[in-house]
Amino acid sequence: MADTHTLAADHDDPDHHAGVFKAYLIVFIALSVFTAVSFIVNAIFGIGSVTGAAIIMGVAVVKALLVGFIFMHLKWDWYKLYFMILPAFIVGTMMIIVLLPDIVLAWPH
Amino acid sequence: MTQAAHDEPTVKMGLPMSNGKLAMWLFLVTEIMFFTALIGVYMILRNGTPSHAEPLRWPRPHEVHLDERLGALNTFVLICSSFTVVLGHFYVIRRNFQRATLLIGVTLALGFVFLGIKAYEYKGKIDHDILPGRIGESLASRKDDAGKEGTLSPEKERLYHATSIDYYERVRGQLKEIKDHGPADDKHVKECAELLERMNGKDETVDGKTRYVSPIGAPELGERVNHILHEAEHDGRTLHIAPTVPFGNLWASCYFAMTGFHALHVLGGLVIFSIILVMGLRGKLGPQHESMLELTGLYWHFVDIVWIFLFPLLYLV
Repeated sequence: MADTHTLAADHDDPDHHAGVFKAYLIVFIALSVFTAVSFIVNAIFGIGSVTGAAIIMGVAVVKALLVGFIFMHLKWDWYKLYFMILPAFIVGTMMIIVLLPDIVLAWPH
Repeated sequence: MTQAAHDEPTVKMGLPMSNGKLAMWLFLVTEIMFFTALIGVYMILRNGTPSHAEPLRWPRPHEVHLDERLGALNTFVLICSSFTVVLGHFYVIRRNFQRATLLIGVTLALGFVFLGIKAYEYKGKIDHDILPGRIGESLASRKDDAGKEGTLSPEKERLYHATSIDYYERVRGQLKEIKDHGPADDKHVKECAELLERMNGKDETVDGKTRYVSPIGAPELGERVNHILHEAEHDGRTLHIAPTVPFGNLWASCYFAMTGFHALHVLGGLVIFSIILVMGLRGKLGPQHESMLELTGLYWHFVDIVWIFLFPLLYLV
């Protein structure tokens, strides 16, 4: 479990204890605020707006990165795991890009 | 030989992390691929609709009875649960098992709240008959906001014709059910009875001349059903008639596939949290469970990330 203690090292260090707790709390507040931002952006721009969709999906990516890097400790473990995570995202993105023109072009516009 | 083997230096293979954590990340990578495929297919189908103009476009959330407030609430619930689980792990590391147990209990409760809201949403879909294969696809009017007629290829017209025949007979049964069991003086029941009558051909005598009036077609039926449903909803009534929503069946398939698989993952997490909670309540939670809590937390955060993307894709954009 030594690797998991990168974040939670020094069990007896009160400063570190407070720092980790603070990091979790900040991420929690940020995630809550970002959720509210998505909701408000949707109310302002309405469904179907490209600008609104871009902002909302951008906010979703930031939220996912916050959860991944802080709550899932990827900030400390990334260099050990990137070789597994990155290919999954690359192949997934490629699949969408490759299939998208096929079905989109299949419809008469 | 034995002595020689003992003398060889110990070579530590693999990554500088526990086997359990590595295995969990490998599992999560397969899960990333699984949900990327689901979400990717949804994006492809959604962008594959022929027009962004009404009515030949992907269904809007309100047309399929999706409430973005419930989606946002569920997002917040999962975020709270992610926070409590990460704190639970934090307190296990600090050997405060009592607080860790409490936080796991809160996580479990939040998970059940999430599933409860999801069940409420599913019930709404069942009540409004927004289920895969049950929704009408053809509407009489296919003009967009600019007055341009929307067109489909002959192949797709044929495809929708087959769907329309099923829809026609299903709605006939639903209207008959409302007519037979609803209060006869209710205006919505009367409308349903009138529509049911129009679904049958009949001879009509006007100025002494008898002529045959054909039954209404599926696209016109769709328009009239939507009108009845709209009026009923305005009066706070829920009528169990399948609506007509272009691409509604495709939407429903995507919605239930994505949220259903996600809910199953939530349920799986809750089983593990229940086990941890029972151990905590019996005073059996100890330093040896630090890894278990961390790995369950990793899984739970992943489930949270999936919902972070499902929420905007289904409810907002």
